[in-house]
Amino acid sequence: MTEATVPNSSVSRVPRVGRQHPQKILLTVLLTVLAVLVAVAFILPGVWMLLGSLRPGNEVIESVSPLGWHTLFPTSWTLDNYNALFGELRFGRSMLNSLLVAFASVVLGLAISVPAAYAVSVLRFPGREAVFTVLVVGFMIPFEAIAIPLAQVFTDWHLNNSYLGLILPGIGNGLAIFNLRQSFRGVPRSLREAAFIDGASELRIMTEIYVPLSVTTLINSALLIFLAQWSSYLWPLLMISDEQRQVAPIAIARTYTDTGVNFGQMFGGTLLISVVPALLLLVGQRFFARSIATSGER
Amino acid sequence: MLFLAPALLAIGLLRIVPFAGAAWSTLYKRVGIGLLAEQRFAGLSNYITLLRDPLFRGTLIRTVVFNLILNPVQIALAMGVAVLMTRVIPLRGLWRTAVFIPCTIPLVGSSIAWGIALRGDGPINGILQALGFGPQPFFTSPHQALASIMLVASWVGIGYWMLFLIGGLNDVNGELYEAAGIDGAKTWRIFWHITLPMMKRPLLFVLVADTVANFVLFIPVQLLTNGGPQESTTLLMFDAYRRTYNYSQPNLGATSTLILTLIMLVIVAIQFRLLNDED
Repeated sequence: MTEATVPNSSVSRVPRVGRQHPQKILLTVLLTVLAVLVAVAFILPGVWMLLGSLRPGNEVIESVSPLGWHTLFPTSWTLDNYNALFGELRFGRSMLNSLLVAFASVVLGLAISVPAAYAVSVLRFPGREAVFTVLVVGFMIPFEAIAIPLAQVFTDWHLNNSYLGLILPGIGNGLAIFNLRQSFRGVPRSLREAAFIDGASELRIMTEIYVPLSVTTLINSALLIFLAQWSSYLWPLLMISDEQRQVAPIAIARTYTDTGVNFGQMFGGTLLISVVPALLLLVGQRFFARSIATSGER
Repeated sequence: MLFLAPALLAIGLLRIVPFAGAAWSTLYKRVGIGLLAEQRFAGLSNYITLLRDPLFRGTLIRTVVFNLILNPVQIALAMGVAVLMTRVIPLRGLWRTAVFIPCTIPLVGSSIAWGIALRGDGPINGILQALGFGPQPFFTSPHQALASIMLVASWVGIGYWMLFLIGGLNDVNGELYEAAGIDGAKTWRIFWHITLPMMKRPLLFVLVADTVANFVLFIPVQLLTNGGPQESTTLLMFDAYRRTYNYSQPNLGATSTLILTLIMLVIVAIQFRLLNDED
């Protein structure tokens, strides 16, 4: 599943284990036990949530005493929680809003980051390094830090309760610009010069040479922007009061503070908002972690 | 430059304008009530008010201590798990995925899960009682609430940072280990003398990035404890939010925000230096 990131050198070691000293075998057994324990500790709350979302909501707490197999495992299975989420709770609507905002942010974010990264890595102009620093450092400051004053500005501009108001703050991502510049710098300049001689414009050189050669970084940047927007909480809390435009994380948090809703529904909602990033990360994790962990080393 | 214009416009409108606006408003005071209120120039008095306020000083110290404890612990655990998950053990990918899965859950989901798990009548207390311990108050005790918040943040955080460290470890692994293995070096010594020094850069980067994330931690505080009990979980971000939206002290809220942003700026500058190091 996640073996994609394993280097080939470790694979060749596996057959050796059998022929090694008993000590080494013992160590492998101990490490395996430890790994299983760690894995269970991390996954168990998730399993508890998944199973809890498939049982009547009141059972989540009622099953705690007496503690036993059925604390985790439902006695009766039901899809009622998901029915309620997509029916009366209109959670589907919030999910669609979240998806719309996250996708639009990725498109707009790449549309501003790619040319900016191209300019600071390929073009030559005075103050280039300063512009780069301002862009990256400015956008790396977590958005939350500036959210409250920005919310007041956006309210003055009547952007509250609008999709645009949700999308705009997510489009700038310092790491995305940084990684894109690193990637663009790795493209041989001779390619650009050759294209120039053929009469290509800067825009064409960027879109037809640099972008296709930086697909990995582009995916990574898209993931960064998407995930930040998908899990965004403080900003929609400040921006959106209209339920029609509400995003999923706020909608699910509302059910937590609202005593009328049961725990099974909350678990269901939480799992629903986790599915999208889970799929994206499982598919894209090698792009995601790799280019950040190794950036600057090119 | 047409290529830069959109990005510069974005950073201007989304970062610099609100920051300047906030900085400006910290120099003013609101006099009067409601619609009749007017802004009057007040110099640095907002800063003085805040820094003299024992509650704010407590919040500032709490936020720093929170980060000084949580970030090294998270990174150490993430590193430990990353090392474990890069060892040659059966079904490694499966265990790795299990640790990684919680980090796909947005923090709001982790907050809800642990908010329920750590209830007085929740399963964690059920387990504690079955093991012969008394029930713990967790979020309702001023002594345990902040630690419980740390748990909420760590469940999703450790797997996330592990991912970055595994990336780094894979770059280190290989020939060096082969060489050390031939020399008969002990596992622990290999880790201490080869792995750790070579992991310095990824570790530092992850530590700083983790600090950036945890300094603005907001969701579990707002959702689970509202800063309480007895202010024990009031962190800087929540303080700025509460002053602005609940206490109607927008100027003091802006001052709190500005102090937070300046701290962030310093940390991010360090992060940037780390990233840019080897160019």
